[in-house]
Amino acid sequence: MDLFFSAAQVALAPASLIAIVLGTLLGVIFGAIPGLTFTVAMALVVPVSFTLDTIPAIGLLLGTYIGGMTGGSVSAILVGIPGTPSAAATVLDGHPLARKGKASLALGTAVVASAFGGILSLVIMVVSVDLVAQLAIRFGPAETFALLIFGLSTICGLAQRSLIKGLIAGVLGVLVTTIGIDDMEGVERMTFGTVVMQQGVNLLVAMIALFAVPHVIDAFLRHHAEERAAPVVDAARAELPGIGDLLRHFWLMLRCAFLGTGIGAIPGAGGPIAGFLAYAHARRWSRDPARFGKGEMAGVVAPETANNAVTGGAMIPLLSLGIPGDPATAILLSGLLIHGLIPGPMLFVQNPGEIYEIYVAIVVAYVAVVAIQLLGIRFFVRLLRVPAHLLAMGILVMCAYGAFSVRNSVFDVISVAVLGGLSYGIARAGIPLPPVILGLVLGPAIEREFRTAMIMSDGDLSILVATIPCVLFLGLAAMIFGARMFGAARATLFTLRTEEKTRASATPSE
Amino acid sequence: MNGSGHRRARRWEVIAGAALLLFALGWTATIWLTVPAGYGVGPRAFPLWLGVALAVLSALLLARGLLGSDEDESEEEDGGPAATTPRRLGMVLAVCGIISAYGLLMPRLGFVLATMVTVAATLALVLGERRPLVVGGMALGLALGAWFAFGRILGAYMPHGSWLPDF
Repeated sequence: MDLFFSAAQVALAPASLIAIVLGTLLGVIFGAIPGLTFTVAMALVVPVSFTLDTIPAIGLLLGTYIGGMTGGSVSAILVGIPGTPSAAATVLDGHPLARKGKASLALGTAVVASAFGGILSLVIMVVSVDLVAQLAIRFGPAETFALLIFGLSTICGLAQRSLIKGLIAGVLGVLVTTIGIDDMEGVERMTFGTVVMQQGVNLLVAMIALFAVPHVIDAFLRHHAEERAAPVVDAARAELPGIGDLLRHFWLMLRCAFLGTGIGAIPGAGGPIAGFLAYAHARRWSRDPARFGKGEMAGVVAPETANNAVTGGAMIPLLSLGIPGDPATAILLSGLLIHGLIPGPMLFVQNPGEIYEIYVAIVVAYVAVVAIQLLGIRFFVRLLRVPAHLLAMGILVMCAYGAFSVRNSVFDVISVAVLGGLSYGIARAGIPLPPVILGLVLGPAIEREFRTAMIMSDGDLSILVATIPCVLFLGLAAMIFGARMFGAARATLFTLRTEEKTRASATPSE
Repeated sequence: MNGSGHRRARRWEVIAGAALLLFALGWTATIWLTVPAGYGVGPRAFPLWLGVALAVLSALLLARGLLGSDEDESEEEDGGPAATTPRRLGMVLAVCGIISAYGLLMPRLGFVLATMVTVAATLALVLGERRPLVVGGMALGLALGAWFAFGRILGAYMPHGSWLPDF
């Protein structure tokens, strides 16, 4: 309990509070504006957090993450376009409610459901994260390598439609991390004799390039194409639901919070899946499923509770095992690393104080989200009217300055420009960007743990299947890859058969 | 997805597959020639394996694009802005150029002046903004707003400018 009180003192200090509230505000703004995801905001905020103390810095990032997850509902309800992919399911009933003139109540209900889901998932996380860490603390290099390979299998979830493209993205991410001086033997790799390349490609620079630069290019192109944003509902404010309304949805919120936490704990699943699963669950258990899609409040409550509960769930593998489940937690991981907090089982032994400070910061962020959304909704409505190319101009400034501030180096700014252009190119070719980040984050640890395991076993590969955790994690990873490949092969066969049938039916008429 | 969408997706797969295959072969050869093998699983092993893996995957992508199987995995329209390929390429080069130029100007003109010049030039020359109030307001507002938020509130280092040391 002493630990909790001292953590609360640090997390509630003015500097931490300001950072959390600023982060939350930024997250809500980026989350509320379609196209500007909170992942972009987090990538831009990480370099700025350098100058802050540990907890204000982590609070700034957590606030951005949590604020962004909640902010997505604003445009989903008002405009009918989800501000973030996590809020996609909220559109289905949120926007019809707005068209019925219930935008204010829908916004208020979404805020309350979000806070409920987020805080309940935090409680579940606090209970389970320590247990997972206690198990993981016995892991050696071989077990950790197996665990990281399991984490890398998240690519299957992030690969969208094509497994080949997802794997290419993941390999590209890991490959980039091998540039620079090798940690174990001090050998230069792909530096071409230059000093600037010896440190390798900075993770933060890569993140800004991957997430923010393609957004700026698209926004500028949209401006030239004169694509206009959807009209915004005018007089909106956030109206809190009554106690009766909340009680009516209480069991639904509880179930969706557990569902969201569970989905969040699975690397690669994330908010969008949780939102849609919760929506489907609410509809299936509703007395009147026909009302869904036409403006049913349960259709807002369920996805908003679940997608915010993902935040707590995603923190379980992140804090206890050091495995990020999605790009946002990967950025959070890089923020923790910068400030000397190395996620994994030892974090709970070495930094118990900071762990509690993070818990308190999450609660503060949810309180801030509720306050900001209730008080500032009119401001966000105005913000939705600001032309996208002008907002993108601001992001361009933050991209360049954010990259510069990493090492006060012009080389990093130019790296952002070059990598950003390449990222846009590979994204246009249909290669998903999130697996690249996963590769960038997990790559160095995978190489280090594998090589250490090989040194320990004198090159004997059987060390990788010598213990139950190794077999379990590698088996799970193989199962995930196998299931995805089987699914792709089956779909290919189905398409080929359909094409054959179409050709066969077309031939007689010719 | 319609027929032209399929063809476009396959064309992108061929281009991306070929470019990545070339890159992977170049990477693998460079690693083989420049990085010592070391003892056991040394510093050369991982980048080499990754290069080979990338080459195999790129070859698969290239083959898929060339053979043109319309499996479910083929790419659909990405919902991005409508633009011709030359215009898209031009914008990519423009944005990359702007960021690079801004990065080069920052330590020379200082953050505030470099930001004002970059924002005004981008709005006027790239985005075709002709309203002086919007151009001036954005340039001044963004430069001073970012300087205040990063430099004053967060205490981050802001470049002062070697050409204008007092600014």
